[in-house]
Amino acid sequence: MGDLRIEKLAIDYGARAVIQGLDLDVHDGEMVSLLGPSGAGKTTILKAVAGLLEPSGGNILIDGHSVRGVPPEKRNAVMVFQKPLLFPFMNVSQNIGFGLRMRGQAGGETARHVDHILALTRLEGLSRRKVHELSGGQQQRVALARALVLKPSILLLDEPLSNLDATLRQRMRELIQTIQSETRMTMLFVTHDQSEALMLSHRVALLLDGRLRQVGAPRQLFHHPADPEVARFFGGKNFFQGHIQNGMYHSDFGVFAVGPQDGNGHLRTATIRPEDIRIVPRRAESSGGLAGRIVKTNFEGSATRIVVACSAGELVVLTSQDGFLPGQEVEVTVPPDKLRLFPDA
Amino acid sequence: MDSPSRPDGDARTRRGPDAGGLVLLLLPALAVVWVLFGGGLALGLVQALGYLPVAGLGELSWGHFARVLTDPDFIRSLLLTFYIAGTSTSIAAGISILTALLLASLVERSRVIHFMFQVPLTVPHLVIAVAAVFMLAPAGLFSRAAVALGWIQTSADFPLLINDTWGVGIILTYVWKEVPFITMMILAVLRQSGNALLDVGRTLKASPWQRFRYITLPTIFPAVGAASLIVFAYTFGAFEVPFLLGRTYPMTLPVWAYKNYSDIDLLARPEGIATGIVIALVVMLAVVLAQMLTKAARKRGVIL
Repeated sequence: MGDLRIEKLAIDYGARAVIQGLDLDVHDGEMVSLLGPSGAGKTTILKAVAGLLEPSGGNILIDGHSVRGVPPEKRNAVMVFQKPLLFPFMNVSQNIGFGLRMRGQAGGETARHVDHILALTRLEGLSRRKVHELSGGQQQRVALARALVLKPSILLLDEPLSNLDATLRQRMRELIQTIQSETRMTMLFVTHDQSEALMLSHRVALLLDGRLRQVGAPRQLFHHPADPEVARFFGGKNFFQGHIQNGMYHSDFGVFAVGPQDGNGHLRTATIRPEDIRIVPRRAESSGGLAGRIVKTNFEGSATRIVVACSAGELVVLTSQDGFLPGQEVEVTVPPDKLRLFPDA
Repeated sequence: MDSPSRPDGDARTRRGPDAGGLVLLLLPALAVVWVLFGGGLALGLVQALGYLPVAGLGELSWGHFARVLTDPDFIRSLLLTFYIAGTSTSIAAGISILTALLLASLVERSRVIHFMFQVPLTVPHLVIAVAAVFMLAPAGLFSRAAVALGWIQTSADFPLLINDTWGVGIILTYVWKEVPFITMMILAVLRQSGNALLDVGRTLKASPWQRFRYITLPTIFPAVGAASLIVFAYTFGAFEVPFLLGRTYPMTLPVWAYKNYSDIDLLARPEGIATGIVIALVVMLAVVLAQMLTKAARKRGVIL
């Protein structure tokens, strides 16, 4: 059992309200990412759930029981911090077994559990190592193992991969994913990295300015953002204004068939992801797209980011094709089915 | 397999002078230290070995060291010095641990408290010793206050705290002076990682006592140890406080060395210097131990 319910959570730092009226449910066996930019209040929420910070309002329930006023050591939640924060005066197995020893578990049983977790986190052979003899990735795995061994109802992960290099981070993501699917442990994972959140989680909760803006499956947030700000957070660059008239969206970039919509005649904001726009060099015969000229290209490895100036404004396009150059005349096509319309602007 | 972390990796790749170049750059400063400290020590050693032409002594021998080390008064002085240095250091360390724990969260919030704790570090030991005389002497401030409050009838009833058998005045002076120093050392460690480790301990189900026993104490141990050894070294070799507040017999070793050195009889001078060299050896041993503790702590990632 590992249910977490956050109800109308409010947290203040002095006179400044950091979190206001936040509601979030994390179900048993679920991995939910709390995603947001730095300073959005993600760690603050995690600390409140862990008991390291007292909220000014609302309630936190773990397995159906309110934990308001319950000290961290009495809550069935364990936190893995951004830095490994291993005890430097203990070796790897002592670090991992720390929580079990604090619970008063017998030495033999502790050793058995520690060995199991060492294997699960691929740390076999390092049990006697001193902390300073470990790499950054190994230290973070020990920190994860130290939390996992306690089998908490909720495992709270506070950007544990942010200090690792790209390769190591990818390996750790896969490890966390494997562990989560094997143990079915309920996890609340804090990150500012959208790709990390999308890859790891069953659901993503996007936090902007202390408020949850959208909670849902990774694909839902990515492809169907609730508002322009959510879309911008997930890399949305192309926003334009227009209005609906009889199932058609009229904008400066063209008229798009979007099907029946509420709010006939009302002004609406639309967006399209850069990778959904098709781009081709302009030929004598028009392909029916918008004419434009390339302003800038940025090679990003697997794709090239191209800024195209059209008569209605600029569009950002992401394409895997090579050969586009600044100054080149092109045609861009906006598929209507990829257009995302937001409620009335 | 991940490669072991190398915190000094940047330093390795940074361009800078090699070892030889560093010695050359440091040579002017090192020369002053070598000439003043090393030269003085060498001259003292020669005189302690019996080479003092002005007193008609010219033959080198270990005789003066032997006489000093077999003198019953030396043993009494040595024990008294160890007692005063050890007791004052232990009490200061104990008080410092408690003070640091109480202040850890306050100091983070208030720079004023941090500053207030730095003030006693700047006050010379001699000033504190004089203040101790004014306060703790039989006719001092505390004694008169006790009489005024009716706790004792006359000043003569006030316990002897200055020039007393147990060196209470000396110990109190050292404790007052050294507590801020050790506390600052502990606070530096606690501010660096101590509070974060305590948060980890809380989420790992450690009770307040367990956090103190299994996290705080091991975290601050190197700092307490190193600071205490430095304080011990200082109090073991310090002269002015026991000279002002101590008894005339037995004397602490530094006072005994000074008396011999400044004796009108020049023949006593080699024994005074021999005593001084014994003190220097004990002090150096404590400093070396402090360095070893610091080095071991730094290896574990603790900044001191």
